[in-house]
Amino acid sequence: MSTSHEPIAPTDDTAGQTPAEWTPERQIAQMLGLCEAQMESALAESDQAVDALIEAFTGLHKTTQALQTIARDLSPELRNQLGDKLEQRVNAIQEQMSAAVVAFQFYDKLTQRLGHVRYSLTSLAMFVCNRTQTSKRESWQRLFNTLGRLYRTEEEREIFQLMVQGASVEDARAKAERHVQREPNRAGEIELF
Amino acid sequence: MPGASGQVILAVDDSASMRQMVRYTLEGAGYKVVQAADGVEALEFAKTSPADLVLTDVNMPRMDGLTLVRELRALADYRFTPMLVLTTESGQDTKQRGKQAGATGWIVKPFNPEQLLATIAKVL
Repeated sequence: MSTSHEPIAPTDDTAGQTPAEWTPERQIAQMLGLCEAQMESALAESDQAVDALIEAFTGLHKTTQALQTIARDLSPELRNQLGDKLEQRVNAIQEQMSAAVVAFQFYDKLTQRLGHVRYSLTSLAMFVCNRTQTSKRESWQRLFNTLGRLYRTEEEREIFQLMVQGASVEDARAKAERHVQREPNRAGEIELF
Repeated sequence: MPGASGQVILAVDDSASMRQMVRYTLEGAGYKVVQAADGVEALEFAKTSPADLVLTDVNMPRMDGLTLVRELRALADYRFTPMLVLTTESGQDTKQRGKQAGATGWIVKPFNPEQLLATIAKVL
């Protein structure tokens, strides 16, 4: 992967647009659309990788089950020699697989959060193209309220609230991280009614 | 690990990877898992077949998990069926809405396989 950031010679990639089509709002909307498209493409690629991982995980599960059957069907002599060791190893694999089940779910959470970001970008792109809306403070408030309702996790809500209240991106992120560390982690929390 | 002699669990989630993780966990403990990708699909199944327990996500296309719970409670076969909500949502308001809809319990993702199985065994 190249990490060099050499200066790019200025070119006019919007030359195909007529003067009537070229507006600052349209350029902003296109840049937001570009961010959304890049995110969608990266997510599609990650989905394929995760699918492959899940397939490997399923294969590992079947192999573990086969090992359990072998351990169960061992002759008494072999069971004395190997039985406990084999069972201990199988149990250790199963514990690691349980940890993998939890880890896989964080990818699902990531996908969900990025889905909200993509929706926000698309909504903003449509919003900025309407000058009647962008000039009214109440229209912005409505947009914020709509986007705010998207967020489902504590982390998302915390960052959103701080940003709407005027915090910088860095401050919002740092404060949200501190908040999450302070508050008990609700992941895995179970409540029976 | 709690034993389960082929009891049927209806697992509802729009994420294929989540459905896989739930299926892996439940089938490993001996449950039979029927999967649905949203509330509409789950309700279609429920109208013709019983399940011993329903495990559902909240935010899904076409029909969300809380509407599904409400709709299922209206079916004679599902009036007393345990229904657990498995979601990233941890807000008290949404939890309260789940309780009012008729959910039996609330589990915040990501779930721990052993804890999920213990909870299922408790409510079945």
